Amino acid sequence: MRVLNRKLLRDLWRLKWQMAAIALLIACGVSVAVMAYSTQKALVTEQVRYYEQTRFADIFATATRVPLSIASDLAHINGVVSVDPRAMKSGLMEVPGLLRPATARLISLPEDEDAALNRIVIVAGRLPNASRSDEAVALKTFLDAAHVSLGERLSMVMDQRRMTFTIVGAALSPEYVYVPSSSPMPDDAHQGVFWAPRLAVERAMGLGGAFSSVSLALAPGTSEAAAIADVDRILAPYGGAPAYGRADQISNKFQQDRIQRLGVMARVIPPVFLVVAAALVNLVLGRLVQTEREQIGLLKAFGYGNLEAAAGYAKMAALVGVAGVIAGGALGGWLGAGITAELAPYMRFPHLTAQFSWSAFAVAAAVSIVAALAGSLLAVRRAARLSPAVAMQPTAPTSFRKGVLEQFGIWRILDQPTRTIVRNLERFPSRAVLTVAGLSVSLALLVGSQFLFGSVDAVVDQAYYRAHRWTDEIAFGENRDVHAVSEVAHLPAVLRVEPLRTAPGKMRAHAREERIGIVGLEDGAQLARPLDAQGRAIAFEGRGVVLSTVLAAHLGVKPGDTVELEITDGRRPRAVLPVTGVSDEYAGLTAYMARDVFNRLMSDGDLASAADLLLTTDQRGDFYRSIAQVPQVTGAASRDDTVASFRSAVAAVLVIEMAFFLGFACAIAFGVAYNISRIALADRSRDMATLRVLGFAPAECVYILAGELVFLALVAMPLGVLGGIGMSKALVAAFTRQDFYLTFVITPKGWGIAVTAYLGAVLVAAALVAQRVWKLDLVSVLKTRE
Amino acid sequence: MDESTFQVRGLTKVYGTGAGEVRALRGVDLDVPQAETLVLLGPSGSGKSTLLNILGGLDRATDGQVKFHDRDLTRVSDTELTRYRRRSVGFIFQFFNLMPSLTARENVELITEIADTPIDAAEALAMVGLSDRMDHFPSELSGGQQQRVAVARAIAKRPELLLCDEPTGSLDSASGVQVIEAIVKVGGEIGATTLIVTHNAVVAEIADRVIHFSNGAVVDVQANTAKRSPRELSW
Repeated sequence: MRVLNRKLLRDLWRLKWQMAAIALLIACGVSVAVMAYSTQKALVTEQVRYYEQTRFADIFATATRVPLSIASDLAHINGVVSVDPRAMKSGLMEVPGLLRPATARLISLPEDEDAALNRIVIVAGRLPNASRSDEAVALKTFLDAAHVSLGERLSMVMDQRRMTFTIVGAALSPEYVYVPSSSPMPDDAHQGVFWAPRLAVERAMGLGGAFSSVSLALAPGTSEAAAIADVDRILAPYGGAPAYGRADQISNKFQQDRIQRLGVMARVIPPVFLVVAAALVNLVLGRLVQTEREQIGLLKAFGYGNLEAAAGYAKMAALVGVAGVIAGGALGGWLGAGITAELAPYMRFPHLTAQFSWSAFAVAAAVSIVAALAGSLLAVRRAARLSPAVAMQPTAPTSFRKGVLEQFGIWRILDQPTRTIVRNLERFPSRAVLTVAGLSVSLALLVGSQFLFGSVDAVVDQAYYRAHRWTDEIAFGENRDVHAVSEVAHLPAVLRVEPLRTAPGKMRAHAREERIGIVGLEDGAQLARPLDAQGRAIAFEGRGVVLSTVLAAHLGVKPGDTVELEITDGRRPRAVLPVTGVSDEYAGLTAYMARDVFNRLMSDGDLASAADLLLTTDQRGDFYRSIAQVPQVTGAASRDDTVASFRSAVAAVLVIEMAFFLGFACAIAFGVAYNISRIALADRSRDMATLRVLGFAPAECVYILAGELVFLALVAMPLGVLGGIGMSKALVAAFTRQDFYLTFVITPKGWGIAVTAYLGAVLVAAALVAQRVWKLDLVSVLKTRE
Repeated sequence: MDESTFQVRGLTKVYGTGAGEVRALRGVDLDVPQAETLVLLGPSGSGKSTLLNILGGLDRATDGQVKFHDRDLTRVSDTELTRYRRRSVGFIFQFFNLMPSLTARENVELITEIADTPIDAAEALAMVGLSDRMDHFPSELSGGQQQRVAVARAIAKRPELLLCDEPTGSLDSASGVQVIEAIVKVGGEIGATTLIVTHNAVVAEIADRVIHFSNGAVVDVQANTAKRSPRELSW
């Protein structure tokens, strides 16, 4: 067998570039799996460690003012092992260097560090001195983004009280990886979170002997839903907002999304590569068995068994698989470490160490080698079944016959080289089908790599330029009389003010319930309005509600249906309301209604909780300086900042992922095109040499060889485009968070990149093979009979 | 002697270097007169195919000169060699080398489409007696018929030069005779200079001149005084 192994190695060396192209595809598949799962492992490991270290809570709730004695009632809820009541309030603060005031969230530090939940991790500086009321620790991401250094003093206005703190430490908190704001992406510079000793916070907020935020830890196996219901019941008299579990905690959700997306990538992409690689193994080895049939016959004539004579081809496939697996493992480990490092600042763990997922590697390796072997099966079977007598006779010339196309007039205008191309396609339909399939998969991946960019633009355009047309938005700590809100119109830079009222709530229909945001808008509002699918503003009709696309889909309702609404604020009114429209938007579980209807349900006056503003650009600084002095304002958002942070955050993540897609898709296109061209050249090098001898120039020969490939590449294009659209839609579904939709949009530039990369990969492969036509040894090719 | 198609002087071809060096041609001198039929006879490995390849513009000499009329083929570019093959040379191979995916007629049209003043493909096939097989694919033709298609293909461009490398090597005697007959007939009709390389001495009987080759050199050139018709041949 040693001689056969030597033959195997020499065959492999002879076919090295084709085999390398196949190994490359396997390596791509393995590397995606290893990269994604290694990164995921690093993130999950750190998340578990971080949550344990900081005793991250299981249930979170807020209320207006709850006596501390109620904490013991919460502690008696079945399964609760720890209760951590805190004083917490929000306000606005001016930060030197920032145009717009930032939101400040002040939280009391626990007195009993052991019982505390959601502990912070000090990464620089120190904790405040417990006896001092003017020291605070700030969220590190805020300090970094707002360029605030330790030792600086910051003033904030909270509940009409101005407080000034010296920042003595920088901290990270699992609870504030992502600080909720009106932006779907972190707006770190404008979202300050501060922790100060309890007494100082209580005094500042007038929360002596009371708390406004509470976290609970549950014993393993406890029903979270039951505990949440108990918390809601206990806190309801104290202005409690609905409690929620860890799964709904926004920072946790933010990290989970990221972790899950890696899993989506690892499950969707590698199989594509392995299937294409297996198909190529099948083609290449099939061709090899064909050319080596005399040798196989000879081996059998010498007394080798069927399996012995055929096993080499399976070994070859396995070796290619192993080469791909080793390269893919190394590449995946390296990429995983790179991506982990890239994600570290984004995921905001105190530490993040790269990991290598051996289990993912083992599974990917086994699947890849099995795929390669599966690809070799047909070739091995053909080799095993060859009878020695038949094998040692020369192959009968390939028989051609006239095809369907020749019935048509167009046939007569085709020249002979083109006829050769067409007949070859008709003669080897399965090879043509495999080529088209492989190439269309690569184009589909390329299209899939481009749509997300277009989608993000569409989301931004819809959300911030068409449905919402405000330039700035301010929020009040507590609901204010609408007349007071109108006074904002007198501030500098204000061109238009529209009050709105928001509150959390629950909506039920068809036995489904969703936690939603309710937005009450003015009739005929210009700065924020729900739009229908055609982009027309939807007017409110009576008590009707307009639901966001996502909410309508989750509840399974359409205009004309009714929904049950519970506003979890104030006196917690409930009402059954008709659905009068669906607002076409990509994000959010939101219900819109006329603000006066909202106010009638609440029965607490003509109130607003926020205002949408249209500001002139040149005086925005003056405007923000004035509202920083208004204690009732606790939040301010700017469209431009929001869009910019959304774009930069999305771009940071997408660019990496899309670069992968692009590279991998090109690898598939190249791998398929190169192998198909090499097989075509091997099949027809004799024909090519004959044509060269007959006086055809190399380029004319290349036309016949590459023309077929280019034709197939063009045929594959519409299929690839359709496949890409399909795949993009599948990715949209896979990537869609519960409250976030993407849409399928590809810009002309996106199409350009996809098609250029695709044709580029095909042409490079064709060119590499074509240069062999120039180098054909005419004499030796013609002398030997195939 | 009439005007020469080729003047070959001191033609040398060496393959490999050092210990692996093989001298295929050792200073060949030869004049090939226009419109004659020449047969190159010699044992396997004597260098006759190498000479044919160099004359046909498939291979380059290591040293020496090959003048095709006034042009030295040893000094022209690859593009010019391609043009030379395209315009002036008709090739006939031992293994026919037809495009399997094209019919007999289309195989000939492959050439007529790129030639300057071609013979119509149907006419060329008629000249080799294949009018009734024009729309058959190579796999549907016998060896002799395939080689006659190759002859039709070779002469369809009206080449000045018809180069045949062992044209009967893969055929039985009867088919071989038919092919030689076709070559002589159509070669004569278009006035081509015909060079047939063979180790079959019988074929030499149809030649105007027989060139004996041995060990990379011309050892003898004989004018054939008793030229026979191809029909009279048998082996």
